[in-house]
Amino acid sequence: MPDTVSNIGEVEFGSELPSFAPDTSTDNTKRFGKYVGWDSPRFTDHEGARKEGLPGAIVPGVLSQGFLGAMIHRWAPDAEIIAIDTVFRAPVLADAPHTITGTVTDIDEDEGTVEIDITITNEAGENRVFGTATAKLPK
Amino acid sequence: MAEAEKVDEDIQDLRDRFLNSEFDEVTFEIDGERVAQYALACGETSPKFTDPGHDDFQAPPTFVSTLVGRRNMPSDFPDLGGMGMDAGKGVEWKAPVRAGETLTGRSHLHDIYTKTGRSGRMVFLVTRMELFDSSGTHVANADTRTVIREKIRA
Repeated sequence: MPDTVSNIGEVEFGSELPSFAPDTSTDNTKRFGKYVGWDSPRFTDHEGARKEGLPGAIVPGVLSQGFLGAMIHRWAPDAEIIAIDTVFRAPVLADAPHTITGTVTDIDEDEGTVEIDITITNEAGENRVFGTATAKLPK
Repeated sequence: MAEAEKVDEDIQDLRDRFLNSEFDEVTFEIDGERVAQYALACGETSPKFTDPGHDDFQAPPTFVSTLVGRRNMPSDFPDLGGMGMDAGKGVEWKAPVRAGETLTGRSHLHDIYTKTGRSGRMVFLVTRMELFDSSGTHVANADTRTVIREKIRA
């Protein structure tokens, strides 16, 4: 499957979306905090987060969910994400490399929709966030 | 939740008392700069999401998860004895959310269910905010799933 798809006919069942390394840096969580919200030390400052009993600053869950949506748009720029459900299984640590993967698990050519399993994994290979998305693509 | 699934009596009581009753209404002014900065932080690359000057500028569907009501639980919801943690977010997208719009968010408890693990019972509360634009069009649902790990009672 190509790195990007433009219509439902180009999508193959079981194929993997190009993996995506999200920006988990505290610079990014600070920007998120400044403009969007979640401007708390637990998200922007490792020392502050440790004082709250965390192993370090963590990425807000709403930002992790946004990473997943961005991966789908990078793969299918004309896709409309009509549903996305994410489970926060464990914290995504800031300033730590993570990888997002996605796998096509169903295709409905009549409706023009695909189901995608999505996961954020840390360097140890542990799933931190997972979920499913339904995206509508042009026919 | 599957209808055939057995529900603990106390949870069924909470479901009967609280599900699908609106407990909060709030309005949100959708600011283009906030939308664009959200999209950039998430790693979106399309100007449709990152450039407020784009003809089709709109919020990524997940943006509605950042819209927070005044409360996430009915005021008379009982204390279940444990600390609530954010267990996940869900979005159902129905129409574009655009800068300059005023959205109205109305919240209700959408589901209450349990899972039992080695450390005891966990109660999951799904709060749904239904979002409408100024013309009354239903543009999205934003779900927040809160998990409460019950304290073991002596």
